[in-house]
Amino acid sequence: MKKIIFILAVALMGATAVSAQKLTGRDVIQKVKDRPDGNTRYAELELTLKKKNGTTRQRKVTSWAMDEGKDTKKMMFFTYPGDVKGTGFLTWDYDQIGKEDAKWLYLPAMKKTRRISGSSSKTDYFMGTDFTYDDMGSRHVDEDTHKLLREEVKNGHKCWVVESVPVDKHEIYSRKVSWIRQDCLTAAYVEYYDKLNKLHRVLTISDVNKIQGFWTIQKMEMKNVQTEHSTVILVKNSQYDVKIDKALFTVAKLEKGL
Amino acid sequence: MKHLLTILLFCCIPRSASAQDGDSLRVGVKGFVDTYHAVRTEAPNNWMSSRTRVRGELRLEKGNAGAFVSANLIHNAILKDRSGFQLREAYGYYSDDHWDVRAGRQIITWGVADGLRLTDIISPMDYTEFLAQDYDDIRIPVGGLRLRYSREKWCFEAVAIPVSSFFELPTDDNNPWSVGPIPIGDEPTRRLCNMEYGGRLSFFLSGIDFSLSALHTWNKMPVICDGIGQYQRMTMLGADCSIPAGQFVIRGEFAQYLDEQQTFGRSSSTNALLGIDWYAGNDWSLSAQYAHKYVSSGDLRNTGLATLRISKDLLHNTLSLQSFAYVDVTNGGIYNRLSADYALNDQLHATLGYDFFHADRGTFTVYDNNSEVFVKLKYSF
Repeated sequence: MKKIIFILAVALMGATAVSAQKLTGRDVIQKVKDRPDGNTRYAELELTLKKKNGTTRQRKVTSWAMDEGKDTKKMMFFTYPGDVKGTGFLTWDYDQIGKEDAKWLYLPAMKKTRRISGSSSKTDYFMGTDFTYDDMGSRHVDEDTHKLLREEVKNGHKCWVVESVPVDKHEIYSRKVSWIRQDCLTAAYVEYYDKLNKLHRVLTISDVNKIQGFWTIQKMEMKNVQTEHSTVILVKNSQYDVKIDKALFTVAKLEKGL
Repeated sequence: MKHLLTILLFCCIPRSASAQDGDSLRVGVKGFVDTYHAVRTEAPNNWMSSRTRVRGELRLEKGNAGAFVSANLIHNAILKDRSGFQLREAYGYYSDDHWDVRAGRQIITWGVADGLRLTDIISPMDYTEFLAQDYDDIRIPVGGLRLRYSREKWCFEAVAIPVSSFFELPTDDNNPWSVGPIPIGDEPTRRLCNMEYGGRLSFFLSGIDFSLSALHTWNKMPVICDGIGQYQRMTMLGADCSIPAGQFVIRGEFAQYLDEQQTFGRSSSTNALLGIDWYAGNDWSLSAQYAHKYVSSGDLRNTGLATLRISKDLLHNTLSLQSFAYVDVTNGGIYNRLSADYALNDQLHATLGYDFFHADRGTFTVYDNNSEVFVKLKYSF
């Protein structure tokens, strides 16, 4: 019996060593993308924008998401401040490269929904924060080429360090380097470099917990090291596999509001 | 005083809108206080507008049913009769996964045009201060029933409006925006046979949105015929579409007005609009539209109106610069609103702007001397 256990242990160790050897940067990023997060999700986001001089501004957002195969539908409403309260975004994110996402914006003051461009806003900053729409959404794995640089401990967590270079040269960063936690498959730290290859923004994810069995990022800070402007996002009241109908992700519901 | 208390009550109701329990009463409150002042930049450099108001919006919801009320309390130092309480929307609704029924005083918007009306002719406009107001304040609610049935990729909307509303035109000489003393006939009486009704079928697909619409309505802007402003029945058949293409969204809208009232009598007109939005990145956005009207008989058969919007957000979206221009292509007139809006903090915005008018002929002629600078402070809650 001991012999069998020994053989199995050796075999398993061997298999692990081989898979670690073969692990590529793309594999790591794919693992992050494939991290289980339920079929439906709900969260309340509190975004605090900090200027260099210490003054702050706040935005609050309530969001729902639902997976449909590899595609994802998202509904998001601003709840604060008052001048944007009720403004809603509906997004149908398509996984297929080259297929443009479908996006609608509802402006309560105009009582009108506008179809907006599905591609251009990806590199714009989300509502004046230091996060781009791309940072807030799910980027397709093959929109960048990935290279596993090394393994190292970052902020007390064992991480894979992956360099990602955008395929599209019009992206706002020339490359990013991500420290991916091996225990929970979330980033712990990301450096974004500008077109001149100077460090531009730094993302620090400091609070990751299991909620309903799913690893959940609850606090992240993006700092523009060139302007010293930063944005902290607190994710509150995260819920997974919530009972929502796909009828929620329609223009009619966007216009009805929260 | 009673109206002031109503508005204050809106503002003081505790907020419990975040409750997720469908059976509990959910209360949502929002609104703003703003003050707007404008002075003419040409002689006699008089005040064009001076108004302060409180807007309160209250939403009560329990289960699938709810009610919404929106009202203004206004002090207008120039147009005294505009001071006081103004009920905007007040309707009850029932809404589930697919059905949405709304009954009462409400603003209904159709179409994809920006600042121009082709199929969007249900809720008329308040031209008391022409277009020098926030666009959402210009829309006048109608009293009616809106029934909507929606599926994932399409939506059908039926409307029945027994209590129609019509354009408000400034005819008082004391109003700097007066169009002159126009004799306007009586509005249609509120009888069942005068009801407006229609429907709109919309599709939302991955590469295109499009709609088909039909409405039996009235010309809500009085048309001077035989020396008096008249309202007559007409039928609108319309269609619109939005097509995203990379950084651009192309918009189109078409409306055929059957038996529309003209200055010489009744005649059909064909109205078409083509627009393009460019989301250029770096918080730049540009939008251009051209709308053409062709009347099937009469002397002046073709007219054109264009708009151009350019906007740019700066300083992490705290400063917003915008230029929005209406161009009367037929007559060569222009109205251009330039504005800079700065968010002093999360609640308080300050806006400084300039309205430029120039016209020798056409719609904007009456306002050729109405160029003005304006300032606005707005506190939102």
